[in-house]
Amino acid sequence: MSNTLEKKKRGSVVIVGGGIGGMQASLDLADSGLKVHMIQKESSIGGIMATLDKTFPTGDCSMCMISPKMVEVGRHQNIDIHILSEIVSVEGEAGDFTVTVKKQPSYVDPEKCTGCGVCEEKCPRLVPSEFEQGLAKRKSIHSLFPQAVPDTRVIDPNNCLFLTRERCKACEKFCQAGAINFEDKEKIFEIKTGAVILSPGLKKYDPSIRPELGFGRWPNVVTSLQFERILSASGPNMGVVKRPSDNKHPSKVAWIQCVGSRDSNNANPWCSSVCCMYATKQAVIAKEHDNDINPTIFYMEMRAYGKDFDKYVDRAKNEYSVDYRRAMISSIHEEAGTNNLILRYTSENGSMVDEVFDMAVLSVGLEPHLDAEDFAKRAGIEKNKYNFAKTDHFNPVDTSRPGVYVTGIYQGPKDIPETVTQGSAVAGKAMALLGESRGTEITVKELPEEKDISKDEARIGVIVCHCGINISQTVDVEKTAAEARGCENVVHAEDLIYACAPDGQEKIKKLIKEKNLNRVVVASCTPRTHQPLFQETIREAGLNKYLFELADIREQCSWCHMGQNEDATEKAIDIVKANIAKVRNFEPIVTDSVPVTPVAMIIGGGVAGLCSAVSLADQGYEVHVVEKEEKIGGLAHHVYQTLDGSDVQVYLKQLIAAAEDHEKIKLHLNTEVDNTKGFVGNFNTTLKNNTSFEHGAILITTGGVEYKPDEYGYDTHEKIITQRALEKNIHDHLPRKGEHYVMIQCVGSREEPNNYCSRVCCQDAIKNAIQIRETSPDTQVTILYRDIRTYGLREDYYSKARELGVFFSRFEPDRKPEVDSSGSLIKIKTFDHIIQREIEFTADYLILSTGLRPHPTTDSIGEKYKLTRNPDGFFLEAHVKLRPVDFPSEGIYVAGLAHAPKNLDETINQALAASGRAGALLSHDRLGVSGIIAKHDRDLCMSCLACFRVCPFESPFIDEDGKVSHNEVKCTGCGICAGICPAHAFQVNNFRDDQVIAMIDSLTADILE
Amino acid sequence: MSSQTIAEKKDTDSVEIPRDIPEGWSPTILAFACHYCAFAAADLAGVMRLSYETNVKIIRLPCTGKLDHIYVMRAFERGADGVFAAG
Repeated sequence: MSNTLEKKKRGSVVIVGGGIGGMQASLDLADSGLKVHMIQKESSIGGIMATLDKTFPTGDCSMCMISPKMVEVGRHQNIDIHILSEIVSVEGEAGDFTVTVKKQPSYVDPEKCTGCGVCEEKCPRLVPSEFEQGLAKRKSIHSLFPQAVPDTRVIDPNNCLFLTRERCKACEKFCQAGAINFEDKEKIFEIKTGAVILSPGLKKYDPSIRPELGFGRWPNVVTSLQFERILSASGPNMGVVKRPSDNKHPSKVAWIQCVGSRDSNNANPWCSSVCCMYATKQAVIAKEHDNDINPTIFYMEMRAYGKDFDKYVDRAKNEYSVDYRRAMISSIHEEAGTNNLILRYTSENGSMVDEVFDMAVLSVGLEPHLDAEDFAKRAGIEKNKYNFAKTDHFNPVDTSRPGVYVTGIYQGPKDIPETVTQGSAVAGKAMALLGESRGTEITVKELPEEKDISKDEARIGVIVCHCGINISQTVDVEKTAAEARGCENVVHAEDLIYACAPDGQEKIKKLIKEKNLNRVVVASCTPRTHQPLFQETIREAGLNKYLFELADIREQCSWCHMGQNEDATEKAIDIVKANIAKVRNFEPIVTDSVPVTPVAMIIGGGVAGLCSAVSLADQGYEVHVVEKEEKIGGLAHHVYQTLDGSDVQVYLKQLIAAAEDHEKIKLHLNTEVDNTKGFVGNFNTTLKNNTSFEHGAILITTGGVEYKPDEYGYDTHEKIITQRALEKNIHDHLPRKGEHYVMIQCVGSREEPNNYCSRVCCQDAIKNAIQIRETSPDTQVTILYRDIRTYGLREDYYSKARELGVFFSRFEPDRKPEVDSSGSLIKIKTFDHIIQREIEFTADYLILSTGLRPHPTTDSIGEKYKLTRNPDGFFLEAHVKLRPVDFPSEGIYVAGLAHAPKNLDETINQALAASGRAGALLSHDRLGVSGIIAKHDRDLCMSCLACFRVCPFESPFIDEDGKVSHNEVKCTGCGICAGICPAHAFQVNNFRDDQVIAMIDSLTADILE
Repeated sequence: MSSQTIAEKKDTDSVEIPRDIPEGWSPTILAFACHYCAFAAADLAGVMRLSYETNVKIIRLPCTGKLDHIYVMRAFERGADGVFAAG
């Protein structure tokens, strides 16, 4: 691919921004053997998703989803996080950039800081918390939020009493790790890297720009992000919905949509894409928190365009009584004496209404972050007219500068799954660019050989941590250590100020050697964050890392029993003893690994499949594309241009040529998969034409089909056609002067039995309408619609269509347009909601905007690979937010229309993402099997198939001898099999029955006395 | 169990007769918590300094699906007063 000198590319990537998009990219890249430098402006990674309470449609806690990912990023040995940092400049070219970074002083030495938080407790200075959106206070020395990664504190120099007035230094006095450094200075440094990924995230619209809405003036007018914090169980109200003015429980709560969006005056012309759904989610969650709340959402158009979005809105309406009203609020005033709010709006029948609410939530839109213009200059890329990064329709994650990629909202407004998708997509791009340099910049730790302890009796060492004063001020740590010393097999127990600090870990290593320890218990904080750290420590001392247990006496003892020192100490002793009892039964765990075949199979040769194929082949992997039809290209053959006017046929030709010419891509046309055997990394597929091959990953890109309508007299009149046919006609000969084109939207979409939005039809209609009006201004175009869903920057084209004189008239599903096709001209009657009367048109052409359906092969492929489908028949991904292109079965990915209806650029995003995910998998020579998995004992097993039925990962299987065997590569160690197995043939490593029962016995030892 | 059914069964040897709760007695409660959710929630309770009784002891499981009925029986058999499965 190189055009100039064949220069060695660098094996690292700089990622600017540590939100969910940047995190996804960093994990994919780091897992594939590339070094990642993450530049994050704030003091923690996590971004906007960390501030959200819950995510729809599942109502999962946002923090619970993102925090394991944050921990993974924080702990990954191939990822370096630079907090409080920004890029100054990007010099060089793709494969070899020099990025200059400016890091603000944090005044805390991250090497020494253990994150114990004593400094924060002692700091006397309170300031409004940015994370809590000003609804709560934080200290001057602080972490952004409790789950912050990296887990270190930083000092806010603008509010620190010492740095502003040379007084205080309380933090320094109380920090027992000596981590405070008031001499810290701004640093400027350079990073040499092969590629740059920009994911700087977003800024939210400032609603005080619109004073008529009263934000900042009336206390009970809050922003949607503030409402997220109000809902959050870890927020200022601990999840109790109270209004700010008087902490009263509000009854009537109004959401006001499009604040800062879809408005060129004092706001942004684009649609922010996410507000309709987050308002719906907030209304539902608020109702769940407090059933007395009556939510009302004031909106212009309900843009529930995504997969299963309409179903969620229906649920909100029908099950949660959310009142949706199509009206814009013109002003908000406070009612004297009550702090209630008077909302003024024009109702659907045209009359002006003043209605009183207890509280109002402004659904503020998204915009590029504050210094986006300057940011583009520093990164050396072009921006679009709205200061988002400029990208083109067919290369949605490429900036104008080769080797610099963009993901997330900086590319245009989008939601979490699309941001995650783009995160993997940019990773795929960077892997294709730097594939050859994989592994060149990562460090592999040299470890001593593991000591064989199989014949030795247990010799347990116990460390009880003070955690500064976090534990020791409540729990008597000396007494706890002394009690541990008295336990069977414990040969050493002592207390340490900070077990996790570098000196604490050195001490643990020394003790293992001196006292010949073969099992270790550390009593300190939660295993969820610190277990891997201590496991590494004991591994460095030559012990198998699974001979370790962490006893949580901070989060689950000292912190929740403050002031009850005696009882807390008793509890801490019980917890430590239970973990000693457990660890006594631990045995070394040998983890296995299996080889990976660096080949991918892609089922479906449409744009999604081809795009994935080219990306994977560019990354250096062999690819087999299996296409049922005689030619590749799929549905895109019938699309001539995109909404922004890009030529689809030119793109498709190039893509087909790239796939056909690539030496690593093998096309199998006119055939289908007969069967696939094996598992992740090691599949073997035979096609119906008897070709067979080995491969490590599977990409399902089987596409969709267009709906053939039977509504509105289609097939009864030659001039009643679909949008696709119109597009072809426009390409060939239309429009003619004086003609009237009437379009009807949502034909076969958004109503039973196909109650979902097909996402592309509004844009298809507007695209064709614009073309007709531009080609022949003498024509007339009318669009009959339910909601115009031109989300994101596509809103521009809706505005353009209206400027060009396209006439829009809305109808309700219970009063659809009526078509009379008996004459040569077509007659259409519809009820217009603005003028509240029936109107009639005579049309030369009636165009039906028909939606998309799953491909007929979806079910058979789903059954073959045991992949679930959603109620509409599209493939269901592993997790709707965080694993948008994965299936629950490892090694199988999805992209394009097979997943849900979507536009071409979105299909390309997903295809690149699937190839990024698959590429990260295929980059491994071998796949390691996790240590904490279920072990299966065939001698005990009765092959009753109970495990086979319950395992969500399909790891138990029926072996050739007809009995059950267990595929450990697929096992995640959840232990559902162990819980159900009547013969106890399954035992989960480190959670074996004897180990758990030892804990139960230990915790109940005192009762029986 | 209503008081009447207890009274009816008083004669049966196998059923323990409820005793008066002695002064200062506190129950022992074992909680089985999923590593990913309930155990994480217990951690968050600590981070938020939410207070609860010290007589709840948590046993971490990789998933609540791992909870074997034998664990519950064992806990009661050994005198635990309550078992809390959360996940």
